[in-house]
Amino acid sequence: MSMPSRSRTRSGPLVAGLIIVVVAAVVIGVLAAAGVTPQQAWDSFFPVDGQTPVTDRGVATRQLYNTVFAIGAIIFVVVEILIVFTVFRYRRKPGDESLPPQTHGNNLVEVIWTAIPTAIVLFLFVISWQTLNTVNAATPSEVNVRAVAARFQWQFDYLDANGETLFTQLSPVGEDGGLVLPVGEPVHITLRSPDVNHAFYVPKFLFKRDVIPGKENAFDFTVEEPGTYRGQCAELCGTYHGSMLFEVHALPKAEFEAWLAGSIEKANATPAPLPSGDAAGAVVEESAKNVEFVVKDLTAAANAPFTIRFKNEDAPGVPHDIAIKDASGAEVFKGDIIDGGKEINYAVQALAAGSYTFVCTVHPNMTGTLTVQ
Amino acid sequence: MTADATALTTHSDAHAEAHAFDTHPAGGIGTPVLGMLLFIASEVMFFAGLFAAYFSIRAGYTEIVGGVPTHVWPPTAYEGLLNPFKLVTPDGQLNLILPATIILVLSSVTCQLGVWGIMKDDRRKFLRNFAVTLVLGVVFLLLQLYDYSVLINEGLTMGSTTFGTTYYTMTGFHFAHVFGGVLMLGVVLYRGMAGQFSAKHNDMVEATSLYWHFVDVVWILLFSTLYLL
Amino acid sequence: MATTTLNPAAPAVRGGLYEWLTTTDHKKIGIMYLINSIIFFLAGGILALVVRLELAVPGLQFVDESFYNQAFTMHASFMLFLFVIPILAGFGNYVVPLQIGAPDMAFPRINALSFWLLPLGGALMASGFLASGGAAASGWTEYPPLSGGQYSGTGTDLWIMGLTLIGTSSILGSINFLVTIFKMRAPGMTLFRMPILVWTVLVTSVLVLMATPVLTSALVMLFIDRNYGGHFFDPANGGNAVLYQNVFWFYSHPAVYIMILPAMGIISEILPVFSRKPLFGYKAFIFATVAIGALGFSVWAHHMFTTGAVFLPFFSLMTFLIAVPTGVKMFNWIATMWRGKLTFETPMLYAIGFLTLFLLGGINGAFSAAVPVDFALHDTYFVVAHIHYVLFGGSVFAIFAGIYYWFPKMTGRMLGEGLGKIQFVLMFIGFNLTFFPMHQLGLAGMPRRIADYAANAGWSELNLAATIGGFVIAFAMLPFFWNVLVSLRNGKIASSDPWEANTLEWATTSPPPAYNFDHLPEIRSERPVFDARYGRTVAH
Repeated sequence: MSMPSRSRTRSGPLVAGLIIVVVAAVVIGVLAAAGVTPQQAWDSFFPVDGQTPVTDRGVATRQLYNTVFAIGAIIFVVVEILIVFTVFRYRRKPGDESLPPQTHGNNLVEVIWTAIPTAIVLFLFVISWQTLNTVNAATPSEVNVRAVAARFQWQFDYLDANGETLFTQLSPVGEDGGLVLPVGEPVHITLRSPDVNHAFYVPKFLFKRDVIPGKENAFDFTVEEPGTYRGQCAELCGTYHGSMLFEVHALPKAEFEAWLAGSIEKANATPAPLPSGDAAGAVVEESAKNVEFVVKDLTAAANAPFTIRFKNEDAPGVPHDIAIKDASGAEVFKGDIIDGGKEINYAVQALAAGSYTFVCTVHPNMTGTLTVQ
Repeated sequence: MTADATALTTHSDAHAEAHAFDTHPAGGIGTPVLGMLLFIASEVMFFAGLFAAYFSIRAGYTEIVGGVPTHVWPPTAYEGLLNPFKLVTPDGQLNLILPATIILVLSSVTCQLGVWGIMKDDRRKFLRNFAVTLVLGVVFLLLQLYDYSVLINEGLTMGSTTFGTTYYTMTGFHFAHVFGGVLMLGVVLYRGMAGQFSAKHNDMVEATSLYWHFVDVVWILLFSTLYLL
Repeated sequence: MATTTLNPAAPAVRGGLYEWLTTTDHKKIGIMYLINSIIFFLAGGILALVVRLELAVPGLQFVDESFYNQAFTMHASFMLFLFVIPILAGFGNYVVPLQIGAPDMAFPRINALSFWLLPLGGALMASGFLASGGAAASGWTEYPPLSGGQYSGTGTDLWIMGLTLIGTSSILGSINFLVTIFKMRAPGMTLFRMPILVWTVLVTSVLVLMATPVLTSALVMLFIDRNYGGHFFDPANGGNAVLYQNVFWFYSHPAVYIMILPAMGIISEILPVFSRKPLFGYKAFIFATVAIGALGFSVWAHHMFTTGAVFLPFFSLMTFLIAVPTGVKMFNWIATMWRGKLTFETPMLYAIGFLTLFLLGGINGAFSAAVPVDFALHDTYFVVAHIHYVLFGGSVFAIFAGIYYWFPKMTGRMLGEGLGKIQFVLMFIGFNLTFFPMHQLGLAGMPRRIADYAANAGWSELNLAATIGGFVIAFAMLPFFWNVLVSLRNGKIASSDPWEANTLEWATTSPPPAYNFDHLPEIRSERPVFDARYGRTVAH
């Protein structure tokens, strides 16, 4: 048998060490050039960049994560050092053709490295079960919201004690939209889907739950910090899954109650949108179908008010609206949301000449351009 | 030590084929029989998936009774459709699933008699019993088809809620497996009539019988689950 | 090669295409498995580049959302079902009969059928791209109702049919492996003298045999719902959407062990050879493999923690427990190298790379076993990082180790070391650049399976880094293919045992004759070739 051509093990470790050093230097250099501080780099190993989660349950989850991370990091470092050490220390010396001791095994050592990992994982299991009990605990609450996820929108029904809808928040994002919740009060959310699987996910809650047709999942939590938190569907639901965003607006309790009372009043007071009234100025036609605008490019005259006659040709339960933004992204017009099967005339104020975009605020994937000239 | 010298004969007739690749190396169970047992294990898992789906669906099936979701099974619309002991349906058609079941069980008996026959080199016993098995198998298939037509007549289709979906899926795949078994029986019968089996060479007979027994056991489980439980 | 008593001047084989199309020789079939798998690896890789290109920068630049969904669905489908699982079956096909001293597999014609079902099934799946609604696009998991008839088109049916054929190929292959291993070992090779790769193929085959048919049942039910008016997964008519997830994952979790156990077997062949010591803890390794196989059937619902339909503590416990036998293997591998005399040819580099990357993949998996943490990380890029560390850093690195290790045996030529090392370094760097930042992305809240993301989400830089890494991986394939092409023509001629290895495949020529062995050495341990070389004078 011919001897294999062995690597020149003398220069091998040198080359390997050199590559490792160069790569490490490049990585650190690029991070530094991008303005990433060591603190930020460390934080990136923790949920939502190390920020404190904003719910009680989220805080418990973060503590569990910290423990799992610590144990995982220690195990990785120890075992990796073992690997690297072994690889460097036991490389064959050039010219050495002898065999090393042909150790087949060691039962004691097998028992040890079975028992210790078992103990570690059992510990991890116990603490994660305890945290799970905290996270999944049911808490009685007065604020009861049903989140309805559909392709590709979120809608929030605020319910009374009997489960009747007081008010439906149709717009999932924005100043006038989103899932508005009180700070410091337990909240109960139920999830419903009329079509496919979705998931309710708010990264800053460190929490998600699937929305499954035919099954109403529910969970409780208390938001502890006022603020606006982004949320997103986290279960593939079709073409525009990535656009299915929503926001949580956490308000101090008094503000929340005022908002809710005001919204209920407005919902009860507002008559159904006029199907077609008298149009003022030039009329631009637009409709929405299959969660898309039918006409993607609209034109209107500059410096004169005009009307958009808007038809929602989708089914009831799929609301749309039109909001117009100028080139800088500022919103210059926002029309009322109408449900599927309805029409409305939007009276748009005079706009300066230029290029605008229009969107549906319920479905961010629905966009078009408006050229005013 | 040389590799097994019998590995390389170049005979082409079927009898020597059994030697060309020794199916009993190291003694014990023959390779075709072991292969068939493993194949049966995989088919058991296939039906296990369907049974799991059935039980899960059945356990969760509810109808609104008095405004409240209540567990029922079968759905009230299909009550009594799958009663095997009612040999005549309300509109005068025959419900022959119980006789069909008995026929299939009998066919397993004749199949095994045939296997014991060839193991004792009794070719006539083997051939007669396998022929009867084949015929019984075909009769079962025909009775099943008739039963389907009766049920469809009575309004049970694939879309009749999950009751219909699970019924037709499970019995349908069983039908397909019986059909495959009938083909196997046919091939074995043909080869048997050509004199290819004996007390020393009967792996494919044994393998086929194992498959046929499997198909029978699945039917007994299906029958118990769908018709009796 | 001289004629022998077993191979008298036989007529020359009808070489060429006809020979390959009609062969039942496990070695040729094994090579065809490798070639077909690598073709789908390239196809899946191109789809990955489409995904990475689109995600590099916010905004939709290259494809629309609909095609993007097809891209990641088919990327995963190709990689899992047409690359990783079959290529490991291919290695098994080539190596296992040789390692047990058998002339071929137990059922050579069924072996050929198993192979040919693969290009057929793959073509069916891929033909979805030509269907009017495009290819399957609901993720490789294809959950209904999204994958149902109302929301998905013909591409999904083609996917189902293709996958059914591929599953059949797997099941038939597993029967072949089990019968071969149980019935056709050479005299002297007791079960506990089998090479560890044979053991991993054995356990894997049991998993394939028992789990794949359950996938078939899920596919059948989905097909019936889609095309025959069925209601298995339709809640309006007594069905249950979560039922699909349960049946699907009952297979797909063991599937990941199907994808890693043979890879671990390859690593366990290579480390001892290049450390010049036996595998440390051979029996412990076997028990760990069996334990992983068994436990692997009990963890499936850890993919469903967020459905609210799962008994969480049980599945969390079993998922944590499966880390133990995996850890035992890791320690046994390190102990194999400990006090050895290591050399670093390319197979060994890949094996060592495997150790580090699989370690990371195992540890980041433990995060998801902690259920509340999974509530935060499920369906985010953290999981994508985990998947790729174990499947790419694990299985694919082991596959490349196996390619470099057995290429000489299969072709009679050595692959060039220089190009091999270049490929390894590029792949290792590219891999980590692509997938490490995905931990950060998932922790920061980026969900999976989205075609685009907001410019102000803070995810742009890491996505760009991941895309650059993806192209480095792609670039690393160039030296590999060049190496293969050049070595097939001009590579150094390989002797029967160029690595001074341990197992029976190295006791015959490179490549072996059609009937595998002229003569088998005595088999008294799991290292018969080592024993023959050192005449058992070395302390055993």
